[in-house]
Amino acid sequence: MSTLPYSRQEMMAIATGRELRDGELAIFGVGLSMLAGYFAQAHHAPNIRAMTEGGVYGATPVGGLPWGIECNRISANATSFTNAIDALGFLVASGRCDVGIIGAAQVDKFGNVNTTGIWDGEIGETYRLPKTRLTGAGGANDIACGAGRVVIMVTHEPKRFADKVSYISSPGYLDGGNARDQFGFVGGGPSAIVTTLGILRPDPVSKEFILDAYYAFSSVDEIRAATGWDLKVSPTVHVVPEPSLEELAALRRVDETGALRI
Amino acid sequence: MPGNKLITLAEAVGRYTRDGVQYASGAALPVGSDAVVFGRELLRQKRKNLHAIFHCNTQQLNLLAGAGAVDKAECGFSGLEVFGFANGLRRAVESGQTALEDYSNLAMALRLLGGAMNWPFVPATVNIGSDIQHRSAFAPDEYPATRKIPTVTDPFSGQEIGAFSPLKPDVAAIHVSLADPLGNAIMLGTEWSRFELSRAARKVILIADAIVDTDCMRQYPNLVRIPDIVVEAVVYHPFAAWPQSSPGLYDVDEAHMKFMNKSLSTVEGTANYVLDYVESYNDIDSYLDLIGRDNIERLSNSATSFLLDPYRKWIKTPAEIAALTAEVTA
Repeated sequence: MSTLPYSRQEMMAIATGRELRDGELAIFGVGLSMLAGYFAQAHHAPNIRAMTEGGVYGATPVGGLPWGIECNRISANATSFTNAIDALGFLVASGRCDVGIIGAAQVDKFGNVNTTGIWDGEIGETYRLPKTRLTGAGGANDIACGAGRVVIMVTHEPKRFADKVSYISSPGYLDGGNARDQFGFVGGGPSAIVTTLGILRPDPVSKEFILDAYYAFSSVDEIRAATGWDLKVSPTVHVVPEPSLEELAALRRVDETGALRI
Repeated sequence: MPGNKLITLAEAVGRYTRDGVQYASGAALPVGSDAVVFGRELLRQKRKNLHAIFHCNTQQLNLLAGAGAVDKAECGFSGLEVFGFANGLRRAVESGQTALEDYSNLAMALRLLGGAMNWPFVPATVNIGSDIQHRSAFAPDEYPATRKIPTVTDPFSGQEIGAFSPLKPDVAAIHVSLADPLGNAIMLGTEWSRFELSRAARKVILIADAIVDTDCMRQYPNLVRIPDIVVEAVVYHPFAAWPQSSPGLYDVDEAHMKFMNKSLSTVEGTANYVLDYVESYNDIDSYLDLIGRDNIERLSNSATSFLLDPYRKWIKTPAEIAALTAEVTA
């Protein structure tokens, strides 16, 4: 029985938030990634320029996790409302955005993200119906193509960590190496996959994600067992510092409704 | 009054839609401003075989697809954000009832911009290289797909990029916070792609939570992003986005969002939902009764209510609106 004073989801959100630096122009996806981003703002990055793809600027959520990037919880104290072309186009596709946080239903060893559907095995030559239809790419494809770097936040389970995703909704490093170059993306690709068990980072040349760090409550063996490909381990693999009291307090102020504690 | 375009919801659906129409809505993301009540009326009038253009899925598309009224859909995001997967749309896609063509959220906005500009195509620097480009639900046997987002060469740099096809929907039902009887509109909250949609669609119907005097528009002309010259008709319908939110006017109805999405996960649940929440009311008053007067009071007590303050003095009463609507109908 775990007696940790924080949940695994909270550790993931804090580790994700630590990836953000003060002053950056940052875009957050809906849900848990938004909590991670606003945690960073509440804790160590007070001057972060936070935005969502909804074109809602200058806002901090009120009343807990917003139901959506446009809902009243994120519209009650905004300083500017614009639109999709502005947020995802002028500020992300342009190359202005430093960092984005996106979620994933499935991710592979090159950081490609699937949020479109689950098929039994490969789709094949004909685009057949998915066994389970998911939410589609939304703005994550645009963030994956355009943000300077991308942090992928995902629950660590074997079914979510595939050798190859069945559908690339949002590009990571595609087939690895310099495969992104062909498309001229202004964004640099995913810099980290932060999970409920640890942190994976890409090899600088092959772009294959390897285990960089684990948490106080997880282990290298546990993480390898929960990964659907033969996960390589960095020679400098290390333990991630546990959340400080200040970090937990800041996160819980943002996560007023306890979405990360379920 | 010349230029007064106020008509009833039933009349708007009857006059501007038909089976198989390419219908655009889903004005502002999955849980915000959308003409959800227009979708209910489409079902009341038994419209079917729709080709839905929704920048993002909403409870409207979730309902229409779940009820079997949508043959084709084109979307960026197709879930319900923190409320999870859209069970009605999901069931329709998994059963093959609805062919859902996937794009990203920027792609859908750019395609509407392309339609508004009458461009032959829009350069695509996103969606390329992913399965959004390679897989087409409208041409499932073509792999990799070549007509959905074809590869083209940037004539200046020589870089290979993609081409998005522009969108010009037959008709758009656009939810707005405030409209005047002429069709000038103010949107509180993000406009998402309603600006582009209002110029891309061949016919635009505004669905407004409140009707204001034109003097309001003259006070804030910079905020009128949809002018009357592109609008065919104006429909007054309070709580038009329910159970979704309308910034300044009402919050998300969390309980009904969950109830509705759960209902739409099965054929039986959907049939019951249609019986109880689509076919059960006769007019605006009975629609508001259905939502519940206490519930309406609670949802209206929003942290965003102050956003409406500058406009309140111009808001017309239901009786004034009824008189204006009668003028047009007469």
